Amino acid sequence: MLEHLLPEIINGIVLGAFFAIVAIGLSLIMNLTGTINMAHGSFMTLAGYVAFVLVSRGTNFWYALVVAALLTMVVGILTERLLVSRLYGRLPIYSLLLTFGLSLIAEETYRLIWGPTGVPFSPPSYLLGAVPVFNAPLPSYRLVIVAALLVAMAALVLFLFKSSLGLRLRAAVQDSEMLAALGTNTRVVYTANFAIGILLAGVAGVFAAGLLGLNPTMGNELLMPAFITVVIGGMGSLTGSIVGGLLLGIAVSVTTLYVPAASELVLYLLMAVVLLIRPRGLFGEEGIFG
Amino acid sequence: MSESRLKRDSFIKLVGAAGIAASTGAPAFIPKRAKGADTLKIGANEEVTGVYAAPSRDQVRGYQMAFDEWNRKGGLLSRQIELVVEDNANNPGIGVEKARKLISQDKVTAMIGTVSSAVSIAVSNVCYEANMPLIVTGGHTDTVNGTGCHWTTYRTCHSTWMETHATGFSIAKLYGKKWYYIAPDYAYGHALLDGYKDLEPKLGVTVVGTDLTPLGTADFSAYLTKVMSAAPSCLLLMVQGDDLTNALKQCNSMGLSKRIPIAGPQAELETFWPLPPEARVGSFGFEWYYKSPLTLGNNAYAHDFVKNYTAKHKEPPTARSAFGYITANRMAAAIQTANSTDPVKISKAIADVRFNALCTADGYYRGADHQLMWPMWFGDVRASGTPDDPMDIFDIKDMQPADAIEKSVEQQSTICKMSYPS
Amino acid sequence: MNRALMAAGLSSLVVLLLALPLIMPLAKLDISLGVTVLLFGLAAASVNLLVGYTRIMAFGNAAFFGLGAYGAALFVQYVMPNFLLAIVVGSIAGLLGALVLAPFLIRRRGIYFALLTIAFGQVFYFIAYRMTKITGGEDGMTVTRPALRLGSWSLGSHETSFYYFVLVVFLLVMLGLWYVIHSPFGRTLVAIGQNEVRVRYLGLNSDRFIFHALGISGLIAGIAGALYAMSIEFAYPLLLDWHQSGDFVMMVILGGSGTFWGPLLGSAIYAIGQNVLSSWTHAWQIIIGGLFVACVLLFPRGILGLSMRPRADIAREDEVYEPSAAPSAAAKAEAP
Repeated sequence: MLEHLLPEIINGIVLGAFFAIVAIGLSLIMNLTGTINMAHGSFMTLAGYVAFVLVSRGTNFWYALVVAALLTMVVGILTERLLVSRLYGRLPIYSLLLTFGLSLIAEETYRLIWGPTGVPFSPPSYLLGAVPVFNAPLPSYRLVIVAALLVAMAALVLFLFKSSLGLRLRAAVQDSEMLAALGTNTRVVYTANFAIGILLAGVAGVFAAGLLGLNPTMGNELLMPAFITVVIGGMGSLTGSIVGGLLLGIAVSVTTLYVPAASELVLYLLMAVVLLIRPRGLFGEEGIFG
Repeated sequence: MSESRLKRDSFIKLVGAAGIAASTGAPAFIPKRAKGADTLKIGANEEVTGVYAAPSRDQVRGYQMAFDEWNRKGGLLSRQIELVVEDNANNPGIGVEKARKLISQDKVTAMIGTVSSAVSIAVSNVCYEANMPLIVTGGHTDTVNGTGCHWTTYRTCHSTWMETHATGFSIAKLYGKKWYYIAPDYAYGHALLDGYKDLEPKLGVTVVGTDLTPLGTADFSAYLTKVMSAAPSCLLLMVQGDDLTNALKQCNSMGLSKRIPIAGPQAELETFWPLPPEARVGSFGFEWYYKSPLTLGNNAYAHDFVKNYTAKHKEPPTARSAFGYITANRMAAAIQTANSTDPVKISKAIADVRFNALCTADGYYRGADHQLMWPMWFGDVRASGTPDDPMDIFDIKDMQPADAIEKSVEQQSTICKMSYPS
Repeated sequence: MNRALMAAGLSSLVVLLLALPLIMPLAKLDISLGVTVLLFGLAAASVNLLVGYTRIMAFGNAAFFGLGAYGAALFVQYVMPNFLLAIVVGSIAGLLGALVLAPFLIRRRGIYFALLTIAFGQVFYFIAYRMTKITGGEDGMTVTRPALRLGSWSLGSHETSFYYFVLVVFLLVMLGLWYVIHSPFGRTLVAIGQNEVRVRYLGLNSDRFIFHALGISGLIAGIAGALYAMSIEFAYPLLLDWHQSGDFVMMVILGGSGTFWGPLLGSAIYAIGQNVLSSWTHAWQIIIGGLFVACVLLFPRGILGLSMRPRADIAREDEVYEPSAAPSAAAKAEAP
């Protein structure tokens, strides 16, 4: 079995990259405004469907990726302005329930528009081959996903640490009252924060659609692992989301190899263990959510 | 206080608007017939919403076609047939409530329906308790004609046992006897494994690997790597739905589909039509097909069904459409033969009557366990259809007759114990 | 609300519930839907005890509900077909489930608590799904409802008789819940819900109170689940899934979180609404989701909460949440 271990770990890294990017989006949103976005998966699915519509009209995959992610971000901004922002200042349970309701509506809407069994969506044909890595064929598409997600994370880090909006975002996390007192329009900061989270979800969603198959519940399947990643990695920590995601991805892949029956459970058990022993997560800050 | 009243007003407007929007959304309406003065109601308990919405819709289309034909010819027991469709949302609890509603409130004469195995069992129990004749249209679990059989309940689609045995014979014939199993780790997967295991000694099959995959597996690469190093003569891929889509895509992208034949117990057009060409690989069991000499043969009745259905719905009938058509027709025929709404008479009139099963052989609902005995087919999935029919994506290669693929009457009599009320 | 109004309201409710088998057929609904409303109402009440009164985010009560259902189902199938014993076994299963999880759950609050409840709930779901040989797995488990006999008296097999039996149990449980909530124990729970730190500073061990609240919640949900399995004569894994938990929370919020009859109202709206709407349109899930979104945004105190005068004297914790404030004293007080 050991010769399977290395390719399995590589698979785990790919899976982990997905968990990480979705978790980063969730974490950004949760951290600043206390909003638990149960509709994050629905945004991912939306991006997938938008890309599908574009590609079936002959658009290039990469162009469709960009447009879909941006359009989804716009929908995210509207959602934040019209709905989510009304719940700022309340207990997180309300945002959880609101977004839960939104995800139900979204899922059914997708079903009504595009059908319940999913639509064909593939990455471009030149990505469909495999690259031999340590004697096991690793699909090129997955390598591209990891590369793209790394690029996205790098872009995010650049934005957060080099741009003035990013500076304000980080300041708002520490103390938004003070930031407002210093003259920044915190509403814009909150919206921008939400928008970035959704943008990341959109990018992940288009890639996931090519990998997992595009159907109304696609995004929701990634939601739970992403939440668990946030918990394990630590809320409020980007490093935590990345490390947590990779850890979780590898754990799931390796468990699938040796004890397949436990591979769903391992996510939940890991989370329970982390919550009981070190609730702030590996890199998290204490006391944000009790 | 005025602020909350404002909010209440806007809420009422919102709900009102939603209600109006919903009720004017014509395509979203569940089909209901115009009520006549005195109709004969037949209830359809279907998964109208949820993951099984597509096969369910095709089953309902089959019912509607059949009942339309009956009504044109004068109806049933001199009344027009009214089909009452209720949505069980793929939830057994709701399925039970809807079944009880159809029985006590709509006062249906008979019930048909379901796609989900769990819902089939739950609804079958309700019909048994209420003495309501039921034909399970599309739920495959062996329980329906096995440990959970009832005198009220018949089943049209093939059982899980039939699926494994039909495909097992064909796979051994076409792809050799060194198998690798990948099965989903839930009831359906376990039943499939039991079925194939039964065949191992009979066919002389060696199994080089077995993997049970958790539900909702998105990533099969771990398993597929193992398969490639075990080098079976055929990979038996038993996962369903989205899992199957993912697995097939990954088989393709890893190059496995070019090296090892992939076979599965059952495939449906509803699943494969939406797939991209690179996921349309493998060979599967088919419960019926609209376009093959092996399925339709020279059966004029069957060809007419295909022609009329395609004209009406702008797409060809699927196996689910055939299930629906057969189910509705046989239920109506039984009511007519019984010439009464008495459930015992209706139920007895369904059994052991040979009829045109839309294929090259006659079908009959076996008296011993109320299972429809009709053939099953095996063939390949085409990446794209034929030049003159892009929807013709199944290539039928083999057929297995009903009696060879289901448990014998003697075997079933130890499992299924049903008795009619005296 | 003055006493006369409350008494009138309560009596009309009781009359309505007693007359339900006559009323439901007028709307072309079977009485078993009424049973569902009562039992989901109990499950929602169990959630309300935690979410509404104690203000802890319990998202896993479907696990206790499902344990009740499977407890009763397994007892009837494998031990003996005795109606009352099956209900007792199911209820104890729900209680035990809560008692097993409670030591872990009480160590955290807030979103962590919610995630733990979801996680543990899912563990039970997977177990039910996996153990196909025992529970039937995805295919579910048939429960042939045993006849209810007490000595020489027997409850008929008619669905209406079953409804009245469930109604009696429902009213008894609600009565018990009323006493719990109005007891010193219950008042402490409410106090914890308003300000846990203050309660701890008063010298009370809030962990212990939450522990007992979880136990009561699990017991009530277990009773509801066991009766539900008897009602539909079936048990299936979805009953344990966190979406079912989410539905129960939805009912609490819709009806009125922290009100006594809110859960029943929410259950009625949800169960009947879903049943009736699904007969008319495919888009019923959008309507339910829309109703829920509207509720959270426009009247988060639920329908019954609308009729309650906002209590100016007690600061509502859910309106003073500061996510970016410095770590609170509460967090420090409970850090291990």
